[in-house]
Amino acid sequence: MTTFLKLNFNTVIIPHTVTRHYQLIATGKFDTGVKVPRNFRLLEELEEGQKGVGDGTVSWGLEDDEDMTLTRWTGMIIGPARTNYENRIYSLKVECGPKYPEVPPTVRFVTKISMNGINNSNGMVDARSIPILAKWQNSYSIKVVLQELRRLMMSKENMKLPQPPEGQTYSN
Amino acid sequence: MAENSGTDPAVETNTEENAAASATIIKVTVKTPKDKEEIAIAEDSSVSQFKEEISKRFKAKQDQLVLIFAGKILKDGDTLGQHGIKDGLTVHLVIKTAQKSSSGSSQTSASSGPGPSQGNTAGTANPSPAGNLGTPQGSGPSPTPTQPPNILAGFGDLSGLSNLGMGSANFMELQQQMQRQLMSNPEMLSQIMENPLVQSMMSNPDLMRQMIVANPQMQQLMERNPEISHMLNNPELMRQTMELARNPAMMQEMMRNQDRALSNLESIPGGYNALRRMYTDIQEPMFSAAREQFGNNPFSALGGNTDNSGVQPSRTENREPLPNPWGPPDASAATTTTASGTATTTSSTTSSTTPSVSNPLGISSSSLGNGMFNSPGMQSLMQQISENPQLMQNMLSAPYMRTMMQSLSQNPDINPPPSGPAPAPAPTPTPAAGTNTAQQQLMQQMLQMFAGGNALTQTPEVRFQQQLEQLSAMGFINREANLQALIATGGDINAAIERLLGSQPS
Repeated sequence: MTTFLKLNFNTVIIPHTVTRHYQLIATGKFDTGVKVPRNFRLLEELEEGQKGVGDGTVSWGLEDDEDMTLTRWTGMIIGPARTNYENRIYSLKVECGPKYPEVPPTVRFVTKISMNGINNSNGMVDARSIPILAKWQNSYSIKVVLQELRRLMMSKENMKLPQPPEGQTYSN
Repeated sequence: MAENSGTDPAVETNTEENAAASATIIKVTVKTPKDKEEIAIAEDSSVSQFKEEISKRFKAKQDQLVLIFAGKILKDGDTLGQHGIKDGLTVHLVIKTAQKSSSGSSQTSASSGPGPSQGNTAGTANPSPAGNLGTPQGSGPSPTPTQPPNILAGFGDLSGLSNLGMGSANFMELQQQMQRQLMSNPEMLSQIMENPLVQSMMSNPDLMRQMIVANPQMQQLMERNPEISHMLNNPELMRQTMELARNPAMMQEMMRNQDRALSNLESIPGGYNALRRMYTDIQEPMFSAAREQFGNNPFSALGGNTDNSGVQPSRTENREPLPNPWGPPDASAATTTTASGTATTTSSTTSSTTPSVSNPLGISSSSLGNGMFNSPGMQSLMQQISENPQLMQNMLSAPYMRTMMQSLSQNPDINPPPSGPAPAPAPTPTPAAGTNTAQQQLMQQMLQMFAGGNALTQTPEVRFQQQLEQLSAMGFINREANLQALIATGGDINAAIERLLGSQPS
């Protein structure tokens, strides 16, 4: 009889944790304190990107829809008003490595931009200069990174930087 | 039997919503930073068809639309299916306007010229020192009305200046109009602030001080209340003030802090009376002085305010139109209080001209670069100038320019009418001359700044000649020290004396 009970006990627990994960993910909160599997996270982020969560000033999605590893993403930031980035659309490439979301993704601007923390010759975002990349937490996401970059565009030190002509990209 | 029912797939070329053959209609949300619309479209439409729908809904041209989905820009030749756009998903939209803003709302650029352009009456251009740059470009004091256009024509793009109404007899009126315009359009303000000339002017504290000191009201005020002149002479304060005027967000922050401090003060017993006293002694005349520069406070009469002695220049009749009760709120001095002495002065936050400790003289960022900058001709000139500083230098060094400026500076009409009733006390023996000197200094400073070099050759000694004489008459024999002190205080005798006394071992 005890074995019978144990069996039931285990099977009850497993579906319980899985549903818990799903619940937490579904609310869009990634801060579970529990390690969420990478693909779950990325799928959720994919869905958010397609649904246009947020205020419409950033957008992100898979670079290649067939990419099963969910590694390469493209992002887009709309330059904030009243800055030198105004009215421009910045394209980025975000790479979520195998350890994501425990480690931050690598981010690279495709559209040329002049901004503190962005390498002038290849558009790489310096993880040490961007606060959330430097102090990454696994509750952060691609959306958060894009929004933070946009917020930095509005900072005093960046908003007045002279920008290269529109439409130029880094040759990589 | 050729009915044009519109649903015949064979003849179908248009792109109505329910058109495309038998595809399913999906509802896609189109989101701009400001707006959100749901658009029904066939699942296999192309991006350009989608854009057509969008342009109808958002009232924008198709080629102004930029669509973004999942971080990618949708090109016209693609289809929605290619990008995986399905029912219920959101596409981001950016409407590219010609110049500014990213969502179809274009700002009104500062276009309308200032107030009543009273034709091309040359003669006395009345540039009041506060808030008016560009006198070098203004019409010269030549008597014949026909001359200025000739001179101006030679400057290239200055023909627009004839619309400036520079010859307006009542310059105050002009300024007030421009002020009103400016205040009703905050975007203009930020535009102006971004103008590099304005910025460079604001970063020059001496210049700012001169502008303020040159106002005769201010001079009176300073003589009555020495604390005010102290404030003026404190470079830290000036710099802070200018920083604030430049940065409206910071200013708001400051205001808030002061309001808080003020309410604390009120709670002290007897504090309220002290506040009221301070207000009547200091704040009010200062207000009037500041506002007088920018046109009279229309509410001053309303409140039965009898402290009008310094407000209206008695000699000129009040030509301003009555205030528009439905117009944009003008500065109302009604709800202001002050705190002790020089420490904390607060003000209502309606007009950016209201003085406060952070902005002791009511330096209005809107008052600077006012007027002149509004006309399109002027603007293009400014653009040219900022792009090509050499142009500026050339302009200024041209010989006729020089003579024009000199005659400008000597023209007594240029000075705003001195206020009648309040007699200037002794220290400045010749108020008119004092004003003149101040004005001249002011102009020279401005010109120097423009030319980026020594366009004029007057040494400080010459400028401060009169003050030096006064100082030596008072018993300060050391001419060198006097000169130093005068330079440091920008010609303010009282402050210079304090400096001299302070430097002596007591």
